[in-house]
Amino acid sequence: MKPLLGTLYLLGILVLGGLGYDRSQAQHRQEVVDKTATSWSNVETYPYNRYHPMGEIYQWMNLIREKYTEVVTQHFLGMTYEARPMYYLKISQPSSNHKKIIWMDCGIHAREWIAPAFCQWFVREILQNYQDNSRIRRLLKKLDFYILPVLNIDGYIYSWTTDRLWRKSRSSHNNGTCFGTDLNRNFNVSWCSIGASKNCADLTFCGTEPVSEPETKAVSSLIESKKKDILCFLTIHSHGQLILLPYGYTQNKPSNYGELIQVGQKAANALKAKHGTNYRVGSSIDILYATSGSSRDWARDIGIPFSYTFELRDNGTYGFVLPEAQIQATCEETMEAVLSILDDVYEKYWYSNSAGKVTSTTAVLSLLMSFRSLF
Amino acid sequence: MQPRQQALPAPGGPRPAAPLPALLLLLLLALRGAAAAPAGSEAPGEASGWQLDPELPHGLLQKAARAALHFFHFRAGSPSALRALASVQRGRARINSKKECQVDLEFTTERYNPKEGEEHLGKCSAQVLFKNEKPGPTINVTCTRFMEKSQRQQEDYQLYKHMQQLKTPLEVSSIPDSHGHIDPSLIPIWDLAFLGSSYVMWEKTTQFLHYYMAQLSSVQQWKTDEDAIDFDYTVLLHEFSTQEIIPCRIHLVWHPSKPLKVKYHCQEPQPPEEASGTEEGSAVAPTGFSNY
Repeated sequence: MKPLLGTLYLLGILVLGGLGYDRSQAQHRQEVVDKTATSWSNVETYPYNRYHPMGEIYQWMNLIREKYTEVVTQHFLGMTYEARPMYYLKISQPSSNHKKIIWMDCGIHAREWIAPAFCQWFVREILQNYQDNSRIRRLLKKLDFYILPVLNIDGYIYSWTTDRLWRKSRSSHNNGTCFGTDLNRNFNVSWCSIGASKNCADLTFCGTEPVSEPETKAVSSLIESKKKDILCFLTIHSHGQLILLPYGYTQNKPSNYGELIQVGQKAANALKAKHGTNYRVGSSIDILYATSGSSRDWARDIGIPFSYTFELRDNGTYGFVLPEAQIQATCEETMEAVLSILDDVYEKYWYSNSAGKVTSTTAVLSLLMSFRSLF
Repeated sequence: MQPRQQALPAPGGPRPAAPLPALLLLLLLALRGAAAAPAGSEAPGEASGWQLDPELPHGLLQKAARAALHFFHFRAGSPSALRALASVQRGRARINSKKECQVDLEFTTERYNPKEGEEHLGKCSAQVLFKNEKPGPTINVTCTRFMEKSQRQQEDYQLYKHMQQLKTPLEVSSIPDSHGHIDPSLIPIWDLAFLGSSYVMWEKTTQFLHYYMAQLSSVQQWKTDEDAIDFDYTVLLHEFSTQEIIPCRIHLVWHPSKPLKVKYHCQEPQPPEEASGTEEGSAVAPTGFSNY
């Protein structure tokens, strides 16, 4: 796996070099990424209650993959605008069963640092507990987890090196006078119709066309190719303390709106039970604002039934610059919410079948009993 | 929010082999879906009870609550009396003949800087009039007391004394830093910056635009003498609907027993057609309010 990834990475660099991409910039940035990286020989000592620059997150993925080889594989998703590799982790219990998929991505907006922190926390929790914890073990029997810890890698790095409050990607527009597309306005769903801007200087710039950005293309391609198996699409943001349902682009409700609300509210209750944090649940257009081209809406419209955006802590006091001291509590409560959703998804697809089977088994049994009584 | 219809089946029970007829399952799901269809215009998670006109802007009650709090902070002029929005309890809104948006609401607050073990939930009621996209809504707000006036004044004086002891010039690059840390000795500076920003955020709020203070990015001047704290600084405001970050230079003068004075100058992101990009304003907080 490793040599293949390395080759793909190099290929990506070479291809973009050939297209006239400024390699010296990429090299300098790579140096910056490397300089800020601390080394952990052992993933046990990796501090999940701190924010990590991208170099450390790449390293963490390697360590996770090496430690949990029986269930974790690392997959190349695509290259970012600035020629960085995007990787997701697949957590899958080996089995002859065909599994369904849960997708979770973090950090589509660069400044929302608590989101990648949560993705890493989630992976750690699943891997540390899947053998002992029956709740997680049950989920892994039927479900594979695909986790993308940082979607907007270029933007994330930029928020570390240059502008802590950067939001968009780092694609160049208008002859280098304008930078970045709002990746969460770039998906192919009612693209740029509402709640997004055609002005490249704006923070909700929707891009030059639907899926114009390499990051959006990479995610869309994978999700599209696996959509028949994906039951749940979760995209993690901050801030606002919200669980958002489709849609942002229309007042119309998805066909399973009632179910989404119920599952969402149950998740918010589970979250609140942990540390008392209040989350609101509703469709994006109702409780947040109108948006078009969002990944959540796109996922719902290609048929993924459970599609949610999480807006994590806080409510505006620190906003995007959430103190590290709050990472643990935020991740613990969010974990409860996500597991609640996954339990509901599991029970919908596998327990419902069981309920029916109980009925038919009981029917057969009672028939047998009545036959016996005849003799 | 009231839980809807029946709960999902409890886990447990045997796991047999034969599959449930798909039609029966579909029927069950369809019935459940029909029962769950939302009634009227009540947005889940928003205040229950009063009807919210679907024609009105999204998240209007939240915006109104925040605007009311910004105004409340400026009027109180006290860094010890700062509050954060907890939740909107009830609210209603309508558009009047002048296309202005009138909002009545009740909301709960908690202390902005909660002390250890302290659990103060205050209550506020407010009338907010958004003036058809003109910023600076007209606000009437009353809040229950968090603490006695004398205690608040005492805390303000303590903060004032602490600020006077800070070493100048302040070696401050940004508060909080990228990781969200604020040195405890600098928290009063953050609070004072937020107080001044409250005035600016109130003045800029419309029914479509609302603000948060994202970061104190630099301190130009911090002067303390017997009369007042003279504080000249730059904040980054975050406007929610456009997601923009707006730098504002703010100059405030504060003394615990005098009304707050604020002057500011914000750099707006350039809109495509119009030319002008900055705005400024100044005010002195009104005196004589004791309902905090």
